[in-house]
Amino acid sequence: MALSWRSWIANEGGKHIILVVWLGANTWLFWRTFILYYSSPQYYYLHKMLGLGLCISRASASVLNLNSSLVLLPMCRSMLTCLRGSHKLMSRKGRRLMDKSKTFHMACGVAICVFSAVHVSAHLVNALSFSVRYSEEFPSLNVARHRGEDPRIIILTTVPGVTGVLLVLILFLMFTASSYCIRVSSYEIFWYTHNLFIVFYVVLLVHAIGGALKYQTNVDTHPPGCFRPNRTDPKTGSSAHPEQEPVLGASELPVGGDGFNSICKEEARFQAHFPETWLWVSGPLCLYCAERLYRYVRSSTPVTIVSVVSHPCNVIEVRMVKNSFKARPGQYIVLNCPSVSSLEGHPFTLTACPTERKATFGIHLRVVGDWTERFTELLLPDPSMDSEILPIVNQRRYPKLYIDGPFGSPSEEVFNYEVSLCVAGGIGVTPFASVLNALLDEWQRYKLRRIYFIWVCRELQSFYWFADLLCALHQKLWQDNRPDYFNIQLYLSNAEGLQNMSEERYRALSSRLLIGRPRWKLLFEEIGKANKHKRVGVFCCGPKGISKTLHKLCNSNRFFGTTFEYNKESFS
Amino acid sequence: MGKIEWAMWANEQALAAGLILLTGGIVGVAGQFRDWEFAAYGVAAGVFICLLEYPRGKRNKGTSVERTGQYCLTVCVKAFGPVTSNYYVRAALHAALCVPGAFILPTVLGCVCLAIASLIYLAAAVRGEHWQPILPKTETRERVGESIKEPPQNPPPRPPAELRRKRPEDLEGAAYVNPISVTANE
Repeated sequence: MALSWRSWIANEGGKHIILVVWLGANTWLFWRTFILYYSSPQYYYLHKMLGLGLCISRASASVLNLNSSLVLLPMCRSMLTCLRGSHKLMSRKGRRLMDKSKTFHMACGVAICVFSAVHVSAHLVNALSFSVRYSEEFPSLNVARHRGEDPRIIILTTVPGVTGVLLVLILFLMFTASSYCIRVSSYEIFWYTHNLFIVFYVVLLVHAIGGALKYQTNVDTHPPGCFRPNRTDPKTGSSAHPEQEPVLGASELPVGGDGFNSICKEEARFQAHFPETWLWVSGPLCLYCAERLYRYVRSSTPVTIVSVVSHPCNVIEVRMVKNSFKARPGQYIVLNCPSVSSLEGHPFTLTACPTERKATFGIHLRVVGDWTERFTELLLPDPSMDSEILPIVNQRRYPKLYIDGPFGSPSEEVFNYEVSLCVAGGIGVTPFASVLNALLDEWQRYKLRRIYFIWVCRELQSFYWFADLLCALHQKLWQDNRPDYFNIQLYLSNAEGLQNMSEERYRALSSRLLIGRPRWKLLFEEIGKANKHKRVGVFCCGPKGISKTLHKLCNSNRFFGTTFEYNKESFS
Repeated sequence: MGKIEWAMWANEQALAAGLILLTGGIVGVAGQFRDWEFAAYGVAAGVFICLLEYPRGKRNKGTSVERTGQYCLTVCVKAFGPVTSNYYVRAALHAALCVPGAFILPTVLGCVCLAIASLIYLAAAVRGEHWQPILPKTETRERVGESIKEPPQNPPPRPPAELRRKRPEDLEGAAYVNPISVTANE
């Protein structure tokens, strides 16, 4: 499949522009701060003492400031959900960029780690320089207490030093627990260490107060390198002469200064900086705290569970109701059940959203880990006690359940294309189930004109989760004289034995059930042929293999002039 | 909490700590710190720890994700047998390796990070975990397609020749009109 430039730009262009802008901002900030400390007159004496270590450490600190503030923004999920919902503020391109918010968060995190390494290395050299090049001329510039002090003591007895070590340790814990491998195998380690970020930010604000690096305040009355009469240079024993002072390079000369020819009017005075980090970090930190507070208040009322239905293949459906809860099809919620685990929250996509006619909403959850197992045990009646407890079933006590959300997801865009291709793998059908429920409710009000629905499952029984919904929607659209609106293809990837859905009411599905895996290229050609020169939205929620293939196909040569725009839903 | 595999996190931490120790050692040597010999030790120890920790172990439950190119190192680490697969030994090794890092500034961070990794390894060892190598599976599946490509060795079963020959008592049914007239010499 040859890469086609137009398809690639339609799919990947926006992301790469943002990447280039972000890299450019980092580079510019690094360069600007480096040059400031290298050649600005107010840092002349400090630069002479510390050398390149000063410039590199301050430049990397400014990049760290930028990334520490940017890293919080993609995690303000409610704010992003609001932005996604307002079509006036954002175009479809903007909403597609928001699908990649977690990737941007990870990029900023990696940048923080890399530049922390640079910053720490430069400051290690600075500590040595403070110790070895202790300055008797300008005692207020020193951090060491005497010449030759052990650099370890310099670091461990100053506020910025101790906070710096703490920051590195917290970053170490957070970073090592964030790899893909750990997130997949034990999510709790990732979750609990990542919540140390609040400690990280508090310590960072203290670290920035520091005050170890000072700038000269009276550059006009004491131009750097000026001639100081009546002072003896402690090294040579003669009066100080600028040319004899150790010069670290031609660029040492103060810019635009004729300091060498002038006489100092007064002694140099030094002062510590205002902590710049506070200006960078406080905005996003306040925004994030406000967002968490809002989410906490919104999720403080428990939901009322209306019904629990058990489906084949280890899936249960939970229907609930909550006051003033609004959600759009495709969004997901985070469940917290204190009887199972007080701190854990698990995300589930809504399969049915509340509408004007019906206030209940529902999720389908597959029992896979220990949280879902315990939750299901609490919800479903004990099968051994069935025969005796018939009158008691009505009074079943469901556990208390809190939900956080709803949060936006890429699948909300299905309605904003004229033609959409929805590919689901197994339980990944849940976002599309809510879309189909919304279409069943009222399909005329959306821009969507045609939807191709591909559902690949391993077992036949899985299709029964939504067989009724699919047949009902198919029936309704036939009756409304739109037979080409909804195109279903069901694939059973486990090809053993003759399997079919034999029930009479599922006849529409059994005739669209195919054994084996879908052939994506042929499917794309078929869709391209039937929708020439249109923009088709491709939505995939399923295993990585399928999504990679689809992504590659969307970037390849255009079939019949049709552009396929790829939108991927991610589960973790 | 019952199913967490601590060894996986300890492995990531030890690898990162090895890199931090290596970086600190390089800074110590390049910056010409006093007692730079400790920094040189940091470089050597950092490289050794990275090589030891690079191959990821196999998970007890679920699929294990390999690091790229870890096969050669897996074979090397496996060759040491119980020394490397026991996590008590690894915890003690890391605790011993981290001590010299505390003597000069650049390697202090590596020392602390390695100490934390050693503690997590101890926790993993207490819970009974041990290192198993991820090796590619060598079983070959019986491929149905292969046998289809071979031509059949024997002809298909047929009834014996007597039954296939036309029977003389049913001459009426056996008769047919030859479409081309057959006459002799005309």
